[in-house]
Amino acid sequence: MANVDNERADDVAPAKAWLMGVAGWVFPGLGHLLQGKVGRALLLGGAVWGCFIAGLWMGGHLFFISGGDQSSSVLLQVPPMIANLGAGLLYIAAWVLGIGFADDPVHAARATYEYGNTFLLIAGLLNYLCMLDAFDISAGRKS
Amino acid sequence: MRHFLVMTAFAVAAAVVFGVVAKDSPRDRLYYGLKVFVEFLVIGLVLGWVLYFLPF
Repeated sequence: MANVDNERADDVAPAKAWLMGVAGWVFPGLGHLLQGKVGRALLLGGAVWGCFIAGLWMGGHLFFISGGDQSSSVLLQVPPMIANLGAGLLYIAAWVLGIGFADDPVHAARATYEYGNTFLLIAGLLNYLCMLDAFDISAGRKS
Repeated sequence: MRHFLVMTAFAVAAAVVFGVVAKDSPRDRLYYGLKVFVEFLVIGLVLGWVLYFLPF
């Protein structure tokens, strides 16, 4: 019985692990950097940052739910927005600066528009993986 | 050519993250990352040719 209680106590992630996860989400690569995993931080952060910047450079579109749209089509914006949100501060900075949220036909007509969208989505999704990795390392579940 | 370069850039980014996150030793990471990279390229090219012949 005591062993079972000990195992349950081990399963509870420490607050530091949550902090590392949040740091990894807010600033891609930071979760690993704070734990001294410099090489991993550069590789993972570089991949996410590279994807995000390349996506914007190719004219990709960042998704968000606008309050003015009351139709059910607004639900279609939710999954890509969740993917985009994975980029953390990059998404928020782009939102504050108004980069990538424009909905004009000229932008959408670019040959690389869909590529840009994909890169922006992938940047967020990859950062979710990086965030979980930083969490697991801090919780002692990974080396 | 540009399409292929973009696909390659995508494969590199995904392979780096998958390789680093999925395996524990540096050697395993390198092999797994290379495997994912090649798989992305090969499957992308095969799908490209398959879709090319579809009439719709």
